[in-house]
Amino acid sequence: MSTPTVEKHSAALDAAELGGVKLITVTVRIRRFNPEEHPDPVWVDYQLEMDPKERVLDALNKIKWEQDGTLTYRRSCAHGICGSDAMRINGRNRLACKTLLKDVNPEKPITIEAIKGLTVLKDLIVDMDPFFQAYKDVMPFLITKGNEPTRERLQTAEDRERFDDTTKCILCAACTSSCPVFWNDGQYFGPAAIVNAHRFIFDSRDEGAEQRLEILNDREGVWRCRTTFNCSEACPRGIEVTKAIQEVKRALVTRRF
Amino acid sequence: MQTDYTYTDDVVVASAQAHTGQGLGTGNPADAFVVEPPRTRTKKTPRRTRTNFEMLAWLFMRLSGVVLVVLILGHLLIMLVLDGGVSKIGFAFVAGRWASPFWQGWDLLMLWLAMLHGSNGMRTVINDYAEKDSTRLWLKTLMGAATVFTVLLGTLVIFTFDPNI
Amino acid sequence: MQIHKYDTVIVGAGGAGMRAAIESTQRSRTAVLTKLYPTRSHTGAAQGGMCAALANVEEDNWEWHTFDTVKGGDYLVDQDAAEIMCKEAIDAVLDLEKMGLPFSRTEQGRIDQRRFGGHSRNHGEAPVRRSCYAADRTGHMILQTLFQNCVKHGVEFFNEFYVLDLLINDGKTAGVVAYELATGEIHVFQAKSVVFASGGTGKFFKVTSNAHTLTGDGQALVYRRGLPLEDMEFFQFHPTGIWRMGILLTEGARGEGGILRNKDGERFMERYAPVMKDLASRDVCSRAIYTEIREGRGCGPDGDHVYLDLTHLPPEQLDAKLPDITEFARTYLGIEPYTDPIPIQPTAHYAMGGIPTNVEGEVLRNNTDVVPGLYAAGEVACVSVHGANRLGTNSLLDINVFGKRAGIAAANYAETVDYTELPENPAEKVQALVDGLRESTGTESVAQIRKELQESMDTNAMVYRTGDTLKAAVADIAALRERYKNVAIQDKGQRYNTDLLEAVELGNLLDLAEVLAVSALAREESRGGHYREDFPTRDDKKFMQHTMAYQEVAADGTTSIRLDYKPVVTTRYQPMERKY
Repeated sequence: MSTPTVEKHSAALDAAELGGVKLITVTVRIRRFNPEEHPDPVWVDYQLEMDPKERVLDALNKIKWEQDGTLTYRRSCAHGICGSDAMRINGRNRLACKTLLKDVNPEKPITIEAIKGLTVLKDLIVDMDPFFQAYKDVMPFLITKGNEPTRERLQTAEDRERFDDTTKCILCAACTSSCPVFWNDGQYFGPAAIVNAHRFIFDSRDEGAEQRLEILNDREGVWRCRTTFNCSEACPRGIEVTKAIQEVKRALVTRRF
Repeated sequence: MQTDYTYTDDVVVASAQAHTGQGLGTGNPADAFVVEPPRTRTKKTPRRTRTNFEMLAWLFMRLSGVVLVVLILGHLLIMLVLDGGVSKIGFAFVAGRWASPFWQGWDLLMLWLAMLHGSNGMRTVINDYAEKDSTRLWLKTLMGAATVFTVLLGTLVIFTFDPNI
Repeated sequence: MQIHKYDTVIVGAGGAGMRAAIESTQRSRTAVLTKLYPTRSHTGAAQGGMCAALANVEEDNWEWHTFDTVKGGDYLVDQDAAEIMCKEAIDAVLDLEKMGLPFSRTEQGRIDQRRFGGHSRNHGEAPVRRSCYAADRTGHMILQTLFQNCVKHGVEFFNEFYVLDLLINDGKTAGVVAYELATGEIHVFQAKSVVFASGGTGKFFKVTSNAHTLTGDGQALVYRRGLPLEDMEFFQFHPTGIWRMGILLTEGARGEGGILRNKDGERFMERYAPVMKDLASRDVCSRAIYTEIREGRGCGPDGDHVYLDLTHLPPEQLDAKLPDITEFARTYLGIEPYTDPIPIQPTAHYAMGGIPTNVEGEVLRNNTDVVPGLYAAGEVACVSVHGANRLGTNSLLDINVFGKRAGIAAANYAETVDYTELPENPAEKVQALVDGLRESTGTESVAQIRKELQESMDTNAMVYRTGDTLKAAVADIAALRERYKNVAIQDKGQRYNTDLLEAVELGNLLDLAEVLAVSALAREESRGGHYREDFPTRDDKKFMQHTMAYQEVAADGTTSIRLDYKPVVTTRYQPMERKY
């Protein structure tokens, strides 16, 4: 237990601890849109000196704080837990606070635009209400019958593990807004809503699975999923979204969950 | 916006209305220009279907797909590989095969499954990519008509085929 | 401008706000105003767990928990409140479970519990398993579960409505004024009762685990209405933030067996806390880390951090119990926690102080009297259950116990009274503020002032403080406040003007930083999270009392801070020396 660990310094740790940072010039190309000024969106380039180990959100902050205060985006926790800053970075949906510059090829201009499929209101801000409406429509809360127990409901560790993956969702909309079906048809519930339905359908304590499955059996429900795996790739929390959707489909066919 | 106003009950707003799940209509003149996706979610969306049509269609795609693999590979094998391959195919060959109810059944099944599988696939493509309701309706009507025509014609031929023509 | 009428208005939709909303929505017509979407709140960043003496895995009772809370808070805790919190903790956890929270489970299917800093068996004998958790995502699960139940109960949210003023008429609560981010419109919410649950104020520090949005909005606007702020000098520095970034790595990591090491690989906490070792309370660990760094035993080329060592724990345990923090290390530092220790440093984490309330959540306007209809809960409030130093997990407890109590009390109060008439021109002050910033032709930038504020606070008012550094902080803040009057923003639009928002937030931070520094300067002792090198011992004779800071406005409009003190409520535990 008390073996000194500092001797086994790995190269990664050395790199992480290296104080002297090498700044590089990064070009950030942002799709700006402010309907108060102009009805059309426009791409704007910003050049800044950044440490490649910094986050894309740091770059956006630096632009906003030092170059152009009108740049508008949502952000809060800055470490991938609140889900505010999902955006399209180099054509892929990511959280700006969980993406380091060095991972998106800072040699070339980094393109940033709002997530697709939701109404763009200003710059990188989209209207999230339809997204949350879909979430609310799947009844995302524990439904139980009968009297409440005095203590906690029992649940085995295996039963808890069954839906662990989908409890990680932070409702950032990266999955839903990466889904080509959703791009063309906002009526589709979208991956995030299905993930949150999955979280309850497979919770051994829940007794509302039949109702949720019926909702997702809708024309705009799970059957619109084309298994393109965009959602799984986009999820910043590493949830296997497509797998969860397939499990809901299977539950609908077999009525076992 | 004005700061000097008179407080009457008329300006009291009864309930939340700025954010209603519609998203737009916030009263900002710039709303006229927002970048909107082709179709947005509306109130009517959580509409329970009374039928399991979409589920059955999805299941049908999986099952027919598996059966079609067997049927089509078998068909290709017989037509293109066995007994001298393509060169053997002629009127007599077809006539000979369709003399047996087994091959009649094989081809009939293959025709129905392939057409339904294909058109159901096209239906989903139309659903996904047509942006306007009317476009979708027209495309689906056209496709449905083509499917019905092909399936009926093919069935008619298989059942009424006369080798002595 | 629009006027809305609700029985109860809740400001903030984090843990405390939503917990209050679930209660008050079932009893009165409630609106929740939040400057973020509810699930963006920083409750979601809490990791380690929520303590309650469930005794699911070993013997425990709420009285031991109370003792730990009081001792952890260095006896500045109001003990009646701590008793209530620790007693109701058990139901708070069970309530959450019944709402659907997916706790990690024991083999018997009960809620699993693990060790946590400062939580001990039988008044300090040994660490106890008391923290109920869901991997290292407990806060995330609480936030999601509460939001889910808000959806279930049809709570009415006003998302991205930034509350900028509290309306008090004739000493009674009349409502709040909010700015709608989407449109720039000003809304007046007339309400019979108002609950503040707007969270912390950590953004006046540079290295902080707090979100960009935690700017003390609730504290600042209550303070400007002449109400006191309690114990603002007590700010918690969490020992294990990711080096330079401040991102939180849960104390649960040490609860699972993680060890703090200096550059020699030594488990240095053995020297500072022989019994609890790495699980000593947060203030003790943070000071120990800084002592190691100051005495030249820090790690890295600049010797400015230490290591959190998890390498001796089996990878399966890390994957099951600490998946998120190991991922943070991989994402942000590029290191593999299975094999490498994680560079960490203390990070500004939690404001123990805030708006003073009683145990029903009612806001005090002086040492004894309440403001009718005004409530506060969560980090924005100071009950005070955290005293001079909050124990790990007790914040999640605080929001659930006192969020619920405030929600019920506010709704019940709203049933018994009529609306207080709105003051004349209720939006006048907010309109002037917003217009002033929009039309300002000043030359100062928000980002620059904020940066200098954060740097000054990090240098002068962090883990180690002296009279001199605090005086420097007070001077810096005064200069920055002067410059702030000349601040200008670039975005003049109405729609989603986050530039304007940041400017308003900075104003709040400046006011609160000043309160912190002035309160800290006056407290000439060391207690819990407040450590004065020039007064390194606790002085119970003089300072066994809560600081109450009031804003005084002179006739010419200049403001100053008046400090007063409020006695601590002591029930069972007399102050003793604090050892871990």
